Amino acid sequence: MSEVQLKEPQNQILKDEEALLLDHEYDGIQELDHPLPQWWLWLFYLTIIFSVFYCLYYLTGWGPTLREELAVTMQEIEAKKPKAPEGGEATDEVYMALLSQPDRIKNGQEVFIGKCAACHGEQGQGLIGPNLTDDYWIHGTGRPTEIAKTIREGVAVKGMPPWDGLLADDELMNVTAYILSIRGSNPPNAKAPEGTEYPAN
Amino acid sequence: MATEREKHSENVIETFSYDDDIVKKFMLATVVWGGVAFLVGLVAALQLANWRLNLGISWLTFGRIRPLHTNAAIFAFAGNAIFAGIYYSTQRLCKTRMWSDVLSRIHFWGWQLIIVAAAVTLPLGLTQSKEYAELEWPIDLLITLVWVVFAVNFFGTLRNRRERHMYVALWFYIATIVTVAVLHIVNSIEIPVGWFQSYPVYAGVQDALVQWWYGHNAVAFFLTTPFLGLMYYFVPKAANRPIYSYRLSIVHFWSLVFIYIWAGPHHLLHTALPDWAQTLGMVFSLMLIAPSWGGMINGLLTLRGIWDKVRTEPILKFLAVAVTFYGMSTFEGPMLSIKSVSALGHYTDWIIAHVHGGALGWNGFLTFGMLYYLVPKIFKTELYSKRLANIHFWIGTIGILIYIISMWTSGITQGLMLQAIDESGRLVYPDFVETVLRIVPLYWARAFGGTLYLIGFFVMCYNLWRTYQLAPKTEKVELYRAPKLAPAAPAPNEKWHRRLEGLVPTFTVLAIASILVGSVIEILPTLVIHTYVESNDKVKPYTALELAGRDIYVREGCYTCHSQMIRTLPGDVIRYGAASMPEESMYDRPFQWGSKRTGPDLARVGGKYPDMWHFRHMLDPRSTSPNSIMPAYPWLFQNKTDFASLRRKFEVMKALGVPYSDEEVANAEASAREEAKRIADNLGAETGIKELESREIIALIAYLQRLGKNPALFEDVKVGDAGTVQQNEAKD
Repeated sequence: MSEVQLKEPQNQILKDEEALLLDHEYDGIQELDHPLPQWWLWLFYLTIIFSVFYCLYYLTGWGPTLREELAVTMQEIEAKKPKAPEGGEATDEVYMALLSQPDRIKNGQEVFIGKCAACHGEQGQGLIGPNLTDDYWIHGTGRPTEIAKTIREGVAVKGMPPWDGLLADDELMNVTAYILSIRGSNPPNAKAPEGTEYPAN
Repeated sequence: MATEREKHSENVIETFSYDDDIVKKFMLATVVWGGVAFLVGLVAALQLANWRLNLGISWLTFGRIRPLHTNAAIFAFAGNAIFAGIYYSTQRLCKTRMWSDVLSRIHFWGWQLIIVAAAVTLPLGLTQSKEYAELEWPIDLLITLVWVVFAVNFFGTLRNRRERHMYVALWFYIATIVTVAVLHIVNSIEIPVGWFQSYPVYAGVQDALVQWWYGHNAVAFFLTTPFLGLMYYFVPKAANRPIYSYRLSIVHFWSLVFIYIWAGPHHLLHTALPDWAQTLGMVFSLMLIAPSWGGMINGLLTLRGIWDKVRTEPILKFLAVAVTFYGMSTFEGPMLSIKSVSALGHYTDWIIAHVHGGALGWNGFLTFGMLYYLVPKIFKTELYSKRLANIHFWIGTIGILIYIISMWTSGITQGLMLQAIDESGRLVYPDFVETVLRIVPLYWARAFGGTLYLIGFFVMCYNLWRTYQLAPKTEKVELYRAPKLAPAAPAPNEKWHRRLEGLVPTFTVLAIASILVGSVIEILPTLVIHTYVESNDKVKPYTALELAGRDIYVREGCYTCHSQMIRTLPGDVIRYGAASMPEESMYDRPFQWGSKRTGPDLARVGGKYPDMWHFRHMLDPRSTSPNSIMPAYPWLFQNKTDFASLRRKFEVMKALGVPYSDEEVANAEASAREEAKRIADNLGAETGIKELESREIIALIAYLQRLGKNPALFEDVKVGDAGTVQQNEAKD
């Protein structure tokens, strides 16, 4: 057993602090009583004043709700969207013409590998999604415009997502053309035919 | 008479000793659990950098490891550090031994038991999925019990004190003890459905608000106020300097505890939480800057005039940098609470950077500074090596910087990519995984930063171990003498707050009142939200199989990477669909809005892919989503669905107000089996795999295919317009 004498605090007090030292002492800890820093106080006041006005604006129904703000932004985005060419849709012939443009087909292939291959296979041979290289079609008869429509709108029941809005218009055309180009390519491990047979002309 | 007794008692000099054994115990636990918390964190970080490190083992998968890491860091590492510091300083600030040595030990062993229980149950997937409140109900009860023991012991010690006034550190301890009790109890009101499963009484948006009121204030009252208390004790002790401003202590203490409690909704900005609550959450977060910085100013300016000492003394270095990180985090937090900043930062790694600036910098470094101070003090020796402590300081600091800078970059990069919309109104990065690929290198950088921090920690362990070995072998009990505290005699000219510092019960009641104001104003209206939403006929409760699947989703910790909340932001709406509404999650116990999107939002994933897609995806995510970093879940294809408990689960849900009929409750198991068979037969036809219907994967698929499938909600259908509703349902 040893007894410990509680010592007087031996804190280092600066010259300009001597007048500010309080008579508080806890286990040797002393306290000064510096005034609240002005900049700190103003920071506090400013955040409070801002908050009052912010609440007045948004809590009283004066300002828009988050959903109203969203609706406005979405309208702006919609307005900017290029209008679908009314009646001026690409025809089957337009798609077929793309087949002779290697750079468009190449871009279509890139898009296909990036977006479609996960379900339809790298060579379109079919995985979860159907084989795209055979003569069997589930949605439509295999005409280019029908393929493009399926890509654009998707097939919710089967799990095919709609790509409209996710692919640029020319990408959509290119990938359609690419699918046309792999028809009859007989890739290895091809999935069994699904749908109805519509022989290519 | 009174004055005579007063005089008499003032002359009574009492002899006493401090219980430092309990401090040693808590310090050892801090170091041991700190190592566990950091190691598990590193494992989780590496799993994000390379999915193969999930190893295909259920209990090692990220979804189960992540809650283990957060719980270990907060409650095991920081928790034990807080207790070590509180037990050491409270006795000295009150000039008395802890009220009861027995209660101290019950507290210690009880707390370690809770941690061990957490370390076992969380990897097993026994979780409520409410962040930092994941532990199941038996452990919740144990936490309550142990916390009460701690509180009784602490207030008993204050009662026995030989110092009339309470020092500011004790104010912060009081606020911590009472608020954590309130938070834990309110957030843990749940109904058991088995020994290790329960459903919260709150659902959907209520559950979200209560949870983030809790979650945010766990940060406030478990990682902030107790550490401020420790700062107020250890900084002036280590620096031999008086506290900068007593006045500032008063103003920032009361403003901090009053304002902090309101800020929870900033975790739910742009979600289905009503606008008014979001607005309150944001403005109160902004108003928090000054009260938080009050603590930083008082800590840093206490070092006024001795900065040369800070350069050479590792303890002061750790403390000064800890306080600096506190200042940084408490500036970043309010900034992230601004709605437009949250739109970018929420659900991204920016938040991870923010919490780790706080956890590694503020909590970690303050703890290390405290340990470097306490271990030599308690073992009556000198620190083994200042040089090693300096090395620890530098490795640790560089580690933190690499960690937070990589996560800032990652968060802002991914946030910008996910919200990017081009001139024609399309997402620039429609593929979620494309944004993930971009940040994977930063996940490696983060793991490297974390490794440095961990190495520094091991250097400290070695240094402290060698210090302990230097301790004199024979330990003497030190006796102290102090006069007994006279009965309260109001001193003339005492200012009101000074007097309050001598009145523990009044002080405690005022502290409780301060935190209750914001709590009541924000939570009470939300408890009735589902009654005024009036949507019961629009939202269908889960079928029995969907509920079974949902419980699996919760168990696997899917919410640690996937949100179920489409925010009121164009990027979210274009990517995932119409912004989520409160009705959609009104039967969700617990809510699954999530707090981080390492993968895409799942609020509307139902029907997006065929069952077969999910089947393959859960078995091997990369077979359906090339480059995905999601772990595989092979055990879901082996484990049997727990059909037997469904009736009990339905009973509990019905008791909580979900509109199941008695018949549905009675038939829960049978109907689930029937539904499972339907799904399994279809999958079996495609895969050739038989007897799938009893496997967990089927239940999980049923749940996933259900998400977002309340069609009536999205078509602007008026309630009662049954024809349209039916039409929409038929379309599915």
